[in-house]
Amino acid sequence: MNDTERSAARMRSPEGIRGSLHDFLKIAVDKGAVDSVLAPVKVPAENSYAWILMNDPAVIESASPVAPVMPVQGAKALKSLTRKGKGESRILAVMRPCEIRAGIELMKLNQVHFDNIVLVSYDCPGAVPFQDYVKDPGFSEESFGKMIASGRPGEENIKPACGICTEFSIVDSDIHFGYFGVDEGSAFVIPVSEQGAELLDAIGLDRDAKIADWESEISSIRDKRTKKRTETLSAAGERIKGLDGLINAFRKCIGCHNCMSVCPICYCRQCYFDSEVSKKDPDFIFEIAEKRGAMAFPRDKVMFHAGRMTHMSLSCVSCGFCTDACPTGIPVAEIFSYMADITQPTFEYIAGKNNGEPLPLRKFEKKELPLVHEIVKSAEGEEGSDE
Amino acid sequence: MSEWQPKILAILCNWCSYAGADLAGVSRMQYPPNVRVVRIPCSGRVDPLMILKGLQSGFDGVLVSGCHPGDCHYISGNFVARRRFAVLKPLLEFVGVEPDRVQFSWISAGEGERFAQVVTKVTEDIRKIGPAKRLVKGA
Repeated sequence: MNDTERSAARMRSPEGIRGSLHDFLKIAVDKGAVDSVLAPVKVPAENSYAWILMNDPAVIESASPVAPVMPVQGAKALKSLTRKGKGESRILAVMRPCEIRAGIELMKLNQVHFDNIVLVSYDCPGAVPFQDYVKDPGFSEESFGKMIASGRPGEENIKPACGICTEFSIVDSDIHFGYFGVDEGSAFVIPVSEQGAELLDAIGLDRDAKIADWESEISSIRDKRTKKRTETLSAAGERIKGLDGLINAFRKCIGCHNCMSVCPICYCRQCYFDSEVSKKDPDFIFEIAEKRGAMAFPRDKVMFHAGRMTHMSLSCVSCGFCTDACPTGIPVAEIFSYMADITQPTFEYIAGKNNGEPLPLRKFEKKELPLVHEIVKSAEGEEGSDE
Repeated sequence: MSEWQPKILAILCNWCSYAGADLAGVSRMQYPPNVRVVRIPCSGRVDPLMILKGLQSGFDGVLVSGCHPGDCHYISGNFVARRRFAVLKPLLEFVGVEPDRVQFSWISAGEGERFAQVVTKVTEDIRKIGPAKRLVKGA
């Protein structure tokens, strides 16, 4: 983030933000500022989008930088390209804010490297739930088109996680396209990082627009969203809290682990819960079944979700992919976001920020966390010594 | 049938708390026989999953103990452990595990007496709470 007064360029297109972004991609490749582009492209069957790495102008022509659905987390695409370090080719990646924030978390986990990547974000109206889109692409395209044209974040026909998203606008990308509340057909191109500013200079976009109005629009929407998020999540927390609540919430779980495989943060090569070690001995299962009188299968439903929560809630960016991927419609994202909103503030940590802060579990203070001392009990009732 | 006895999983770090337990033993100190000790290299090695799994497998409580902050054999393992426990605490609450069922403590190699006292206290706490409702009940 640059703290100096923010200046932006203005781009106009009859097709609105989609047109402007599209033009921007073409110019960036055309002028040689980047070698290739990573953006969603509609699949030939016209019922989904896929991440495509492209440098052929004809292919870029077919790109849909603002796609109505999010079938694959962009951070995962970025990980495939950069997990082994800096690549040869300079790539411009157009992604939603939550995808960029997930990418930043993966960068902290050493799974993504940003050295040769230019991240472009945009004011995100939300995404259509994937199953809705697959059922009726025509309707979804139309409603999403209207959403973008309105220049405001969507309210209906979007994923539940998008409805309570507070990071729908500028994030720690390199260049941000802001268009909420801006007159129709026009968008602000805002350099966020130095790299972004250099790229704008290189392709000759003059930065002479004032964006104060846009900024205040964004912060007013954010305030409303923050309120909605707090309300929704605390209601969900109350509903689900406790073992019985959790068992109820995950009763429908079929143990497919889709939520885990689509999660950008769950990057482990093998999950404990997919391993042989996690499987109980049949004798043990019989023993417990006998004690309880009955036994449900698959085993370890709550254990899986609680375990996953302990591992990734500090990095959860509430992108909502888990809910989108759940075949039985469990509001996984709501439950995980609820937990994330409790664990992250413990360390005053906000997942998805790129401000040089390492992950909370990668650092410590010698004196901190009275909260732990509270549970560190000694026989004399004294507090755990601090030195 | 005799009175119900809590079964407690004690995860102790090799360098301090395990040695503390050893000292309590060789000093012939009396403490409740309810703990089952698992030795680990460092409290920083404790994955919250180990605690959850312990409760799931039938333990009524878990005690995790490491070196005092600043005394870690690996310099910073227990500082990280402390952060991890801070995250685990609200999670346990969310999952419906009574706060006293899982306790953390720092015990050094010289504190055999403290080990005995901590174990006594933890055992009493857990006895009061009663048997654990298994983490993954019938579901």
